[in-house]
Amino acid sequence: MHEMSIVEALMEQIIEMSQDEDWEAVTRIRLKVGAMRQIVPDILKFCFDVASKGTIMENALLEIDEIPLLIKCDECGYLWSDREFLGMCPKCSSINVNLLNGMELELTNLEVEMKHAKTC
Amino acid sequence: MPRLVNVKKSVMAADEEHASFIRSMMKQKGVLMINMIGSPGSGKTTLLEKLLPKLNLRCAVIEGDVATSRDAERIAVTGTPVVQINTQGGCHLEANLVRKALRDIPIDDIDVLFVENVGNLVCPAEFDLGETFKMAISSVPEGDDKPLKYPSLFHQARAVLLTKVDVLPYIKFDRSAFWRDVQKLNPGADKFELAVIEGKGLDDLIGAIEDWLKDIRGN
Ligand SMILES: Nc1nc2c(ncn2[C@@H]2O[C@H](COP(=O)(O)OP(=O)(O)O)[C@@H](O)[C@H]2O)c(=O)[nH]1
Ligand SMILES: [Mg+2]
Ligand SMILES: [Zn+2]
Repeated sequence: MHEMSIVEALMEQIIEMSQDEDWEAVTRIRLKVGAMRQIVPDILKFCFDVASKGTIMENALLEIDEIPLLIKCDECGYLWSDREFLGMCPKCSSINVNLLNGMELELTNLEVEMKHAKTC
Repeated sequence: MPRLVNVKKSVMAADEEHASFIRSMMKQKGVLMINMIGSPGSGKTTLLEKLLPKLNLRCAVIEGDVATSRDAERIAVTGTPVVQINTQGGCHLEANLVRKALRDIPIDDIDVLFVENVGNLVCPAEFDLGETFKMAISSVPEGDDKPLKYPSLFHQARAVLLTKVDVLPYIKFDRSAFWRDVQKLNPGADKFELAVIEGKGLDDLIGAIEDWLKDIRGN
């Protein structure tokens, strides 16, 4: 259940960003989550809904782009996508393989509602 | 009017800063820092209890637990400096907690820092502590399917330990299947089998720790 820690870090980051801004509310939060990260999107969303109550991002929609594994063999150059990570190239059996995608945990962007400009 | 704000930053950016601070500190001091990850009861503390008195190196230990300081008390008996971190319910250690604990570790006077993470095969694997590497600890009674069920840990670990091999005669455990799966996930891992209470396998591990230390110190 490390989803709660991730939500806490995410919220801290957004609150810090909001300090010097005229944001009324954060309405959408877009994340990239790699398949190797062992994060359950529904649990992440649930934790977010609970933790965000009473903050600037209460009611924000959490959008999660799940990034599948992409693995490359450095020996023969073969590139493949898989549900599970295997440390061996299916073409040439080399163990010289690298995980290119799958470890992402990135805050991509936010949609915010600005405070109304004051009329003087 | 809604406005789009581009960020493109790691969610864990703040904690990653603590991790890289720790990593450069260990590098500068020439300290081998091992992040020990395994289920509750896999034998992490027992391993340290047996290993520390036999290691001819200056060691320190950080103990991570949800609550209590029982493991730290067990380590203190060996005379090794130890700091307890209680995560107050948290299922894993994070770099900011470790950085605080390091204030009480005599970092200039040690060669190896062992961090016993909170017992759990999932969450601790997801948080970089700034360690030299992760060590996965899996015990025979847990069953032979743990590598495939928890691929993230077994993929990242530089060393994989199979503990409690003394109970192999009593438990249905396919040892070659276990190592075959580890090999698939992580062909470069150093592999060890131990029966810690009998002292079996300790010498191999001690030799490896000495080699890893030479490695990071570049000699
Ligand atoms: N049979 C056997 N039992 C062990 C071995 N190592 C640890 N144990 C037992 O496993 C239990 C849990 O050990 P502990 O070190 O506290 O596990 P931790 O939670 O991973 O720190 C204790 O009862 C130990 O005595 C071993 O090599 N063989
Ligand atoms: Mg323990
Ligand atoms: Zn190949």
